[in-house]
Amino acid sequence: MILALGLSIMFSLFIGILAARNKRAESLIIPLLDVFQSIPILAFFPLVIGAVTAAISGQAGISLAVVFLIFTSMSWNIAFGVYEAVKSIPKDYIDLAEMSGSSSLQKIKSLYIPASLSRIAYNTQTSWAVGLFYLISSEIFSTGAVNKQVSHGIGVDIVTFYVNGDFNGYVYSILLLLVAVAIWQVVFLREFSLFSERYKFLEEPRGAHQDPLLRFYGWVNDKSISKLFLLSHVGGVNRVSSVLFRFRKGILYAAIIAFGIFAAFEFSTFVPGLASGIEHLSSAAILSAEGTVLVSLGYSFVRIWSVYFLAVAVGLPIGIGVALRTRLYEAMVPLLEVVASIPAPALLPFIAAAAMEQGEIVAAFIIFVGMIWYIIFNVMAGIRTLPAEIFELKKVFQLSSWQAWRQIYIPASTSAFVTGSITAIGAAWNTLIVAEIFQVVTKNGVHTLTKVGNGIGLLLVQVNNANPYTATDAATFILALVSMTVLIIGFNLLVWRRVYHRVTKRYAYNR
Amino acid sequence: MTDAKSQAMQSASLTPIITVDKVSLDFTKEKELMPVLVEVSLVAPKDQFVMITGPSGCGKSTLLRIIAGLTPASSGVVKFREEPVTKPRNEIAMVFQNFVLLPWKTSLENVMFGLLARKDLTDQEKLARATQALDDAGLRGFETVYPGELSGGMKQRVGVARALALAPQVLLMDEPFSSLDDLTAENLRREIYSLLISSSSPIQSVIMVSHNVEEIIELADKVVVLSARPARVVGELKIDLPRPRDKKSKEFFDWVDRVYALLA
Repeated sequence: MILALGLSIMFSLFIGILAARNKRAESLIIPLLDVFQSIPILAFFPLVIGAVTAAISGQAGISLAVVFLIFTSMSWNIAFGVYEAVKSIPKDYIDLAEMSGSSSLQKIKSLYIPASLSRIAYNTQTSWAVGLFYLISSEIFSTGAVNKQVSHGIGVDIVTFYVNGDFNGYVYSILLLLVAVAIWQVVFLREFSLFSERYKFLEEPRGAHQDPLLRFYGWVNDKSISKLFLLSHVGGVNRVSSVLFRFRKGILYAAIIAFGIFAAFEFSTFVPGLASGIEHLSSAAILSAEGTVLVSLGYSFVRIWSVYFLAVAVGLPIGIGVALRTRLYEAMVPLLEVVASIPAPALLPFIAAAAMEQGEIVAAFIIFVGMIWYIIFNVMAGIRTLPAEIFELKKVFQLSSWQAWRQIYIPASTSAFVTGSITAIGAAWNTLIVAEIFQVVTKNGVHTLTKVGNGIGLLLVQVNNANPYTATDAATFILALVSMTVLIIGFNLLVWRRVYHRVTKRYAYNR
Repeated sequence: MTDAKSQAMQSASLTPIITVDKVSLDFTKEKELMPVLVEVSLVAPKDQFVMITGPSGCGKSTLLRIIAGLTPASSGVVKFREEPVTKPRNEIAMVFQNFVLLPWKTSLENVMFGLLARKDLTDQEKLARATQALDDAGLRGFETVYPGELSGGMKQRVGVARALALAPQVLLMDEPFSSLDDLTAENLRREIYSLLISSSSPIQSVIMVSHNVEEIIELADKVVVLSARPARVVGELKIDLPRPRDKKSKEFFDWVDRVYALLA
């Protein structure tokens, strides 16, 4: 995991600096990063495992695949951070470097890297949580695929303990994970971000600076929001891009997506047993496969949205309620941070047992845990960033608590709430693959402990593990990936973008 | 401005509307007691415009919040006529420095918002009052406009209308013009002043916090000067310049100098 983090930082520095300093690289890299962070990486994991193990066999290959997955999950975030940091270095400093005749390498060493440090630190915090999620997921997930297991790792242990009925072992491993997360948070991430404080060019707004939570979550929000503006990334919400500009960007994206699909097909042919016969499939077979995919997507879509409403019903009042009480807030935040960084899949065995192995409940729970923190933390941050006077309104105009919630707090948290929702729904798609089906491997073969009736995550796992593996399975797998990606990106562009636009226009509190 | 009323405002009446009696406030910071206000006393007589000033961060706004009943004092009392003020009351309204309008409500809805808790008024009465207040504040025709679409000066007009709609007897203003540009502030200041002292206004006392000395001399009947933290009253001046006041006159500058001398 640390290896993956190190790799991510190196990669991000390279990509980020390149994008920020080179116009042509920027126009290619930034949209690419946008697309990559929009797609559910986990769904692509079987492809990665297949490809890597084809190249390097045995344990090394599997471990490498896991490292690669975590690396990918963390890199986009950090690369964006570096890009924005380098991009926002005040022009004077760059002029200064030019004037003193620094070489490119000197500039990178003495200006770009230091300037990026604080952003890397912040983004590492969030990336770490994301990475941990992928770590556990990928380990659990890989145990599902026959002969493609990681032999050691906390995710493996958790599942193994559960399968063997070793309840104590399971609890210990969860506790161990918690302690490790807490220590990591305190020892490394905090130190790193404190250390990077002095590399800042501009003071952040005072509120954001003082409040650890805002520092932690502010950035994830920016990122999930930027996904909505794929076609007009540069200026964000307020900039009215010219039609021509949008059009050109649109073509670029279409090209990138087409290339991605093409690459996925090509890539899959490297995987032994996968896709060798796809080109011979009749169009009718492909159509029927796509039909299956669409039905599954529909189920998953409804599942995610139902759980979302539940998460809102719980998360919104908690978020506002805690944020309104300063003392409670200060006591809860460190606690919530640690609890929130327990990846949902680690709880899978426990949830499965608690839910009497009802697939639908297990899936709902995993998705719920994957979403709720984004809602709670965003709403809390939204309330905490309001100017202090707004809380005086309740007293000045002698409102009842109910009036204050309805008239002030809920509307005031709306834009943060929508931001959180966008991130939460995005995260939910990623949890599907572990949520909808829970399999373990024992000596006797693969056991499915819980699964839902229908869903895209289930479908992906089933066709991936199909035995015998037919060309139809391969085609279904690829169609499922592509359809899911298209749905997510399309939904972002067509729905969330409008909602976000409308909400920030009306509900954002700025004086 | 009617002459009768403005004369009345200059002649101090015997019954104070607001009495601040030896109000002190301490903050506890890291277990140490930090005094913010030390035995601050002042009276706001009927029909007078009282200004509170002092160095930045001395606690002017805090004092105003104590008068409003928003912040409890550590010791001492604030009285509205004869009754102690311990929580916000209907008779006392407040205008904020940063307007504090709700961006998701129109101007009219923002003004209505101030009347939410008033159970003694029907919805129709609330609407009528809010419309009238907006009209008085010079915002006729802007009822359905959202704050985001208004300039700073117009936003503060909404803020003033929201306070006026309550038909308060006391109006508290916390640097209401300081986040506006000079020209806008100048115009708004004049308009608001004539509005507040007009014969139809129910307002009997205005207490305003300001650090702009010219603004103080232009508006105040009385100015209370506080020291740096912890704040004590270092001086109280009755400004008896005839109105309207000529900002270029020698007398005006003499008053400005006198206030600066107290502040220094």
